[in-house]
Amino acid sequence: MRDKIFISDIVKKVDAMMLYQGEQDYVRWVVSSGLMSDVLTTEETEILLVSSLSTTQVVRTADMVGANAILLCCGKPVMMDTMKLAEELGITLLSTAYPVFETCMLLSPMFQKEK
Amino acid sequence: MPDRFPISTEKSPNAIMEVILRLKIKDAMVTKVITADRNATMRDIQNLMKDNKISGVPVLDSCRLIGMVSVNDIIHALDKGHIEEPAIDHMTKSLVVLEDDMPLSFAISYFDKYSYRRFPVIDKNRKFTGMLSSRDVLSVMLQELNKEIKELEEKIVNERDELPNQIARDFFIKKFDFENAGKSSFELKKLLKEKNVSSAVIRRASVASYELEINIAIHSEGGRIVYLVDDEKIEIIANDTGPGIENVDRVVEEGYSTANEWIRSLGFGAGMGIPNTKRVSDEFEITSEIGKGTSVKSVIYLEKKNESE
Repeated sequence: MRDKIFISDIVKKVDAMMLYQGEQDYVRWVVSSGLMSDVLTTEETEILLVSSLSTTQVVRTADMVGANAILLCCGKPVMMDTMKLAEELGITLLSTAYPVFETCMLLSPMFQKEK
Repeated sequence: MPDRFPISTEKSPNAIMEVILRLKIKDAMVTKVITADRNATMRDIQNLMKDNKISGVPVLDSCRLIGMVSVNDIIHALDKGHIEEPAIDHMTKSLVVLEDDMPLSFAISYFDKYSYRRFPVIDKNRKFTGMLSSRDVLSVMLQELNKEIKELEEKIVNERDELPNQIARDFFIKKFDFENAGKSSFELKKLLKEKNVSSAVIRRASVASYELEINIAIHSEGGRIVYLVDDEKIEIIANDTGPGIENVDRVVEEGYSTANEWIRSLGFGAGMGIPNTKRVSDEFEITSEIGKGTSVKSVIYLEKKNESE
């Protein structure tokens, strides 16, 4: 199993805003996509889902694959429904002003160590 | 009797009959009504109509309804030159009225029987209390039917026959209802967790169910998703009511999609739904008929039978 990376470190790294603090304080891997069907093909668990979409379906998808946290990029305004659903499902919701590519670049050194 | 009103008191299903008998006229009527008193002239009422953009004004003597002035009465008064005269002399006096305690079915039959577009409503002391138009009836009916149908849908779920050791759940999915798409998968996930199913299997079942749910919301006119869970396997059965798929073989291919830009902007519609579902299923079946609908069945075993793949 992959190492735990703490969400608090991710927040610092990408200058993220904590919109909702969920049940888990770590993630093990990052999956990034704007296509939720792609996210659903992942085999990784306890992930951070990085996306530029901010609809409720991002939260639903995160829940289906057992993600611990979601990081919304590009400083997109987050809809109330999305926030509420994250709360309901206990999934951490973060937001950063960085675009997806920069976000992933900043995060990648943190996840370099292989299992 | 011609069915002028879309809801009839004779041929409607029981649920609708129940609603129109349960609802009273006072539940539907409008109580804030512009009225005139017995001293008003036809001109006064003409101005009331103009200022308030209405086409009928009840005339009251204190609280009692003594007549109605319609646009027709005003035209007639203008034509005959008695527009400055008291309304009481030129209003319509023989009125068809409804009582506020009557069931709504009564009003519906009145709309069928008479050509009036609205009826004055009085209470049992013959005091004027409001007006009822067919629009008021429709809006209260729609609200009530929404509630009623929701309850009925929930009942269907509970009434499904379960085999011994089998749990059955049944959900309705509406067209383009992205707000709620995913809710039934969430319920499935919860149910499997309670059953202590392994997290890998829960995940596969969730993905299959979620993709099928999204598919119904995106592509169909609406449908149902049924979960049958026993000690051996999870069956997910998704049925929709149309429009059906022309070439079933193609949707199993990755990347084949008929979704529009709007759906793609939500993060779906890239032609991965069915292939994804198939990938996580142990058994997978899809049948479709144009004009009828599509049926998908995904079976996932709780324990892997053999690791051939």
